[in-house]
This record gives sequence, C-alpha cells and structure tokens, in this order.
Amino acid sequence: MIHARMLRESAIVFGYDLDLAAIAQPGIPIGIPGGGALLRFVDAVLERSEDRLDDMQRAIIDELGSESLVDAAAVFGNFEMMNRVAEGSGISIPQQAIERETEIVDALGLLDLIKG
Amino acid sequence: MFDFTDSPVPVREDIKEAYRAIWMHFANPGPVFDAPQRSTVLAVARAARSDNTIETGLLPEFVETLATTLYSDPAAVDGPIVRAAADSAGDPAAVETIGLVAMLSAVDGTHRALGIELEPLPEPQPGEPTGRIASGLKRRRTHIPMPQGAIPVALDLLPEVGTAYRASFGPQYITGPEMAFPDFERSPGLNRAQIELVSSRTSLINECFY
Repeated sequence: MIHARMLRESAIVFGYDLDLAAIAQPGIPIGIPGGGALLRFVDAVLERSEDRLDDMQRAIIDELGSESLVDAAAVFGNFEMMNRVAEGSGISIPQQAIERETEIVDALGLLDLIKG
Repeated sequence: MFDFTDSPVPVREDIKEAYRAIWMHFANPGPVFDAPQRSTVLAVARAARSDNTIETGLLPEFVETLATTLYSDPAAVDGPIVRAAADSAGDPAAVETIGLVAMLSAVDGTHRALGIELEPLPEPQPGEPTGRIASGLKRRRTHIPMPQGAIPVALDLLPEVGTAYRASFGPQYITGPEMAFPDFERSPGLNRAQIELVSSRTSLINECFY
C-alpha cells in the first residue's frame, strides 16, 4: 500500500494519467511509459515462465532501454526482500492510514490481504 | 563472484558491490548463528523451491520451517510460525533467520528476473557468533522485537543485520534520502513512478499488504 501511494505521488509529478486499478489488473492501461511491460515482467518472474520472461525482458529493452531492465530486476529483488521482512516481522499499517487510503485499498483489493 | 557474465544486459557496478557485501555478510558468523549454521539456513531456504533436500541437524526444526516458508511462500508466514521459531531458539535467532532469508531473496530475485543462474552460496568462515544484540526492544504488535519506526528498522534487534539489509536499498531501489523525491530518475533507467510500479505489483502478487 505504501508504495502504491508513492507511485500515485510520483505519477502526478511526472504528469502521468495513472490508473491505479491496472496494478491489480494489468490488462488495463496504466498510463505510465513502459508500464504494461513492467507489470507483465513482474508476473513472468513470479510465474517462473522462462519463455514469457524472455519476451518481457525484450519488451522492456525495446521500450525503455537495457538499463531499465537492470533497474526493474533490482527493484523486483529489493521487494522480494522487503515483502519477506514485512511478513516475518509482522509490521502493520495503522488503521487510520488504511482509512485515509481507501482509493488505493479498493483499487488493489488490499483488504483481502489483511491476516486474521 | 557476481560478475553477471550471463546477464542479457550489463549490470550496474553498485549492484554487484552490494551483492558481494551481502555474500560477505552471509559467509561470516552472525549475532547468534555461526557461519555453518547460517549457510544451512540459506541452503534449506533455497532447497524449498527446488526438488533438492538438505540434510540439516544444525538448526532447530522451527527455525528451518521459518526459513523455508519465508523463502518459498512468504504470504504463509504468520505470527505462530515466527513465534515457534523464537520460542525454540530465541528472538535473535528468529530475526537472524528472517534477515538471512530476506537478503537471499533479494539477490536470488534479481538473478531470476534477469533469467540467469543463481550465485553459489559462499563458503562459511570460521569463528564464533558475535553476540551483538540490541537491548531494550520489545514487540510493537509485531512478531519480533523492534524499534519504533517503519520497515527499514525492522531487523535492528541485530544491528549488524539491520545495517547489511539497509545497505542494499540504494543500489537495488533508492536510498533513504532519495525516498523524499517523487521526481527521482535514474538516467538512463527507470524513473520513480516506474520503480514504484514494479514495487507495487511485486508486493501485490506476493500478497504483502504493507
């Protein structure tokens, strides 16, 4: 949730017409240059699909350049780490913050992820 | 080590250096575990995503469960899994396990995203555990004791682990000071919105609410 908020803030600064729902539904145009390729790249890595990964790597190189593929891979690695620290530590987001971010929570279906 | 010769694109030097530093951290004794125990944590974690089985005996059973689950299915990790490890081996051992597996997941995740072979684990170095454990920390509605603050300080029960973990943020993502800039851009490379798009989708698929 925190990084979707950062995405929204950054999209405003860059003048992008962001549709947050595309984070959860990559078929929707996200409104960020190369955004569709980046979303499908993450899915290909997590699905462990080598053929699809090759295609998505090529799409990022073609649309954004080879340096962007390295950036995307490293950011993916970083959040493989951060997600595990979040789950392992049990750190949570205050209820008030969740209530302030209903647009993000609804768009991403995040309430389904809260553990009982 | 970490020369990335099989990468489809050249890899930044700061990423290579960050991963070499993590491997050095892994190879040495930690706050609670000696280096062979740390190597076992890393090996059993990796084996959980493959058909390999690892003969252990060096780790308490619940620590092994925490390591394998956190690496292979992080969304399945909950309070009881972490508490079982902490109750059997102590809070510092649980935090050390989380730190090892989380940093391994970063390095391996980047390799998988580039479509290249994983780096072999480092050779364990001799020596006794350092015993460096922060005092006075408590659980803050969290599974582990930690200082007040956000996720970058979550592992600070073990200062050397927290330091190694934070040192990887800048090369892989952005530094703490850069976090304040929504107009951050790597040039050439991704801008902040594109970076946060990758972070948001990764977290969502990993079912991480945070």
